[in-house]
Amino acid sequence: MASTEASTAAIAVQRRTASYERLTAADRPGVAQPVPERPVPVKPWGAMMLAVVVLVVLATAIWEWRMRSLELAAGDLRDGPSFWAEQRRRLDAGDVQVAIVGDSRILFDTDLDRFQALTGVRPVQLALPGTNGLPFLENVAADPDFKGLLVVGLADMSYFRREIGLMADALDRYEYESPAQRSSFVLHRALSRELAFLDENYRLSRLVQRLDRGARAGTAGPYDSPWKVATTGEDRQTALWRRLETDRYLNDHARHFWARGNQRPPVDDGLIAEILERSIKAVAQLRAHGGEIAYVRPPSAGFYVALEKRVIARERGWEPLLAATGAPGIHGSDDPVTRSLYLPEISHASRACSTVYTDAYVRSLVKVTRLRLLPGAPPPLTPADCAPTGDYIPM
Amino acid sequence: MVFNSLTFVVFFAIVLVLFTLPLAWATRKIILLVASYLFYAAWNPPFIILLWVSTVVDWWAANRIPLARTQARRRAWMATSVVANLGMLGWFKYGEFFLHNFQALAAGFGIQYQPPDFDIVLPVGISFYTFATMSYTLDVYLGRSQPTRSVLDFSLFVTFFPHLVAGPIMRPTELVPQFQEPRRPTLDQLRFGLALMTLGLFQKVVLADGFLAEPAELLFDGTKVPGALDAWIGTLAFSGQIFCDFAGYSTTAIGAALCLGFKMPDNFRFPYAAVGFSDFWRRWHITLSSWLRDYLYIPLGGNRHGESRTYFALMMTMLLGGLWHGANWTFVVWGGLHGVYLAVERWLRKAFGDYRPGPVTFVMLGLLTYALVNVTWVFFRAATFEKAWLVLKGMFGLNAAAEPILPAVHLTAVTAIVGGIVFTHWRMRTRTLESLVTATPAPVLATAWAAMAFAVIVEQGTGNAFIYFQF
Repeated sequence: MASTEASTAAIAVQRRTASYERLTAADRPGVAQPVPERPVPVKPWGAMMLAVVVLVVLATAIWEWRMRSLELAAGDLRDGPSFWAEQRRRLDAGDVQVAIVGDSRILFDTDLDRFQALTGVRPVQLALPGTNGLPFLENVAADPDFKGLLVVGLADMSYFRREIGLMADALDRYEYESPAQRSSFVLHRALSRELAFLDENYRLSRLVQRLDRGARAGTAGPYDSPWKVATTGEDRQTALWRRLETDRYLNDHARHFWARGNQRPPVDDGLIAEILERSIKAVAQLRAHGGEIAYVRPPSAGFYVALEKRVIARERGWEPLLAATGAPGIHGSDDPVTRSLYLPEISHASRACSTVYTDAYVRSLVKVTRLRLLPGAPPPLTPADCAPTGDYIPM
Repeated sequence: MVFNSLTFVVFFAIVLVLFTLPLAWATRKIILLVASYLFYAAWNPPFIILLWVSTVVDWWAANRIPLARTQARRRAWMATSVVANLGMLGWFKYGEFFLHNFQALAAGFGIQYQPPDFDIVLPVGISFYTFATMSYTLDVYLGRSQPTRSVLDFSLFVTFFPHLVAGPIMRPTELVPQFQEPRRPTLDQLRFGLALMTLGLFQKVVLADGFLAEPAELLFDGTKVPGALDAWIGTLAFSGQIFCDFAGYSTTAIGAALCLGFKMPDNFRFPYAAVGFSDFWRRWHITLSSWLRDYLYIPLGGNRHGESRTYFALMMTMLLGGLWHGANWTFVVWGGLHGVYLAVERWLRKAFGDYRPGPVTFVMLGLLTYALVNVTWVFFRAATFEKAWLVLKGMFGLNAAAEPILPAVHLTAVTAIVGGIVFTHWRMRTRTLESLVTATPAPVLATAWAAMAFAVIVEQGTGNAFIYFQF
């Protein structure tokens, strides 16, 4: 009773005095500033904090459950500049036999497990989504420690442009990564192995912003930005997100985003010449310190084929690139296997078909590079091995 | 490291545990000191040297001042501190800026000068800790305080991690006495401190980064020509972003310090409810504005040497205050505009000193103040004058080829959030946060706290640096 009265009195005193402004340095010109006031309001802080912890844990658990119901998964480590830099540093240690650079097609369409099962070599995956592979080819070519095979995956519209693209800061992060950035990456990865909701695309603000389906005409809204299309596992093993095979809304959105390329004019001859010159130089540099290179052009489908032909046709980009660099090339439309794969959103192979695609292009790689199939390598795969079943979205 | 990162969560948890162990006070202070150096080194380890330089120079200079026999020697030791600190600041922050301006000036005289490419890295927080250490020496010189006897206490004052990289800019008399007596946080200080940290992180992670940064970027970093709606909403987004970012940092810093049992000063006092610009600067970045007042405006004469000198001191202080924010003429113009506003207000107060606005006029003047502050934010945010003019013209409907820029969701979110901020500031303009907490029922507080914490978790920002880290 006495303590209740004392608390009530204390609260009453605090209410009378604390409602006035507290003096600050702004009110005390030209004098030594005193130790600040920082009163703790009289409240049942213990009970409040307990309630907060319970509420937050409960809400987070419900959120986690909800995100898993949307097919986010624990173990999806999410890509980023620190993850890329970690893999890039493996080349500095030397003795890397195969590395892959390029854009999202070679990134999503390569099954590292299959590659290793066929050749005994597990490549270092350095391709980046939405990003031009040429600066990364140049980066690896300039590295005297790399003497292996560099697979350069290219989507024509991504390679034949000046901009680096979405993940331009990956190289900066490789050049310098602060201890804080490194530790935050390690911690985030550890949490991502257990929690599904830690996905940039499913942040609170993103979910709110995606409620806007283009209400204001003439503006590029959230629907015009890239959304989640991939999942990333250990050592950057990345694949197309399964939901894009079955969710019509997400699939339509992905195709809508790719269709922005319709605004792009054809690549001019000057830019082509510039890209070829840079490529020639990088390939020569790579070969000079014992490295080897092969270009790989994964398949596309639907309107993307005509779009790519309009912007940078094979005979203007791909063919001159191989001729100028003298590098071997494996084109997705030359192989009957890779021509017939299931590409849910017309730009990337499905998760199952990435295994078939990898099988096919590795079998072509061993014919034109130092890479060799293992004696007991598994037999070739066909499109039938990844034919979609059930309720899937046709190409 | 930044407060909104997993690294800081782990770091802070470890520091809290170690600091509350039953160890000697000196040992616990050393733990804080080492932790603070690690906090800074987590950004770039070699730059710890700059902290040491600042610490050693000011410790030495401040200790020599009371021993100096002549005023000239006293002034020389004070000047040593100022030159060393401003020299470091000038080199790292303004070196390239001065070089490029010299190059432009030379070109104006037909001289082609190509400066070497230094690529100077800007050490994070240098503008803050150099000002903090200078205030130590200057307070000793001005007779406001005595040098501390403990190099540990002084080193901890310089490096205390809650305020190290983005303030509040503390004076030695505010913090050093707190290191002289052993202290541990009470459980309620810890809990209230965590609540403040939650509020600060909510402002930064959810409001600033999550909802306000993108509309500001679309306006200021995009290529489209803005009309009135986009120009105003994008600028309001930035006004909300910079407040939530910076006040969020300060609130988090105050909370972190309180969790350790230390008290830090208020740095913001609901500035978007300011009526007039002198009121604004008593509410916005209080520790910087009072630092500039005490160590620049008053030494330049303040208001003690007639009107002309007062206006000169005012303008110089605001221009240099603008330059402090960044090595770009747009920041100088931002400061200069505030100087003009303050000068005009001063003249108006003299001319209409007896005028007392009624309640409606009072609010209208406040909204006018906020609108004019937003005009200055255009210069603060725009990377170039061309962009600033384009946005300003847009604000007044003068862009003929205006196109829509911001999607509806941004228009709605900015209006709701910034409207909420301004409304809150008006409700709180004569109160403290503690008084609001006292008057609010515990279940409501707990729910709000939980909601903010949950929002921070599910917003799970990418650890974006605070805007003021670049200053």
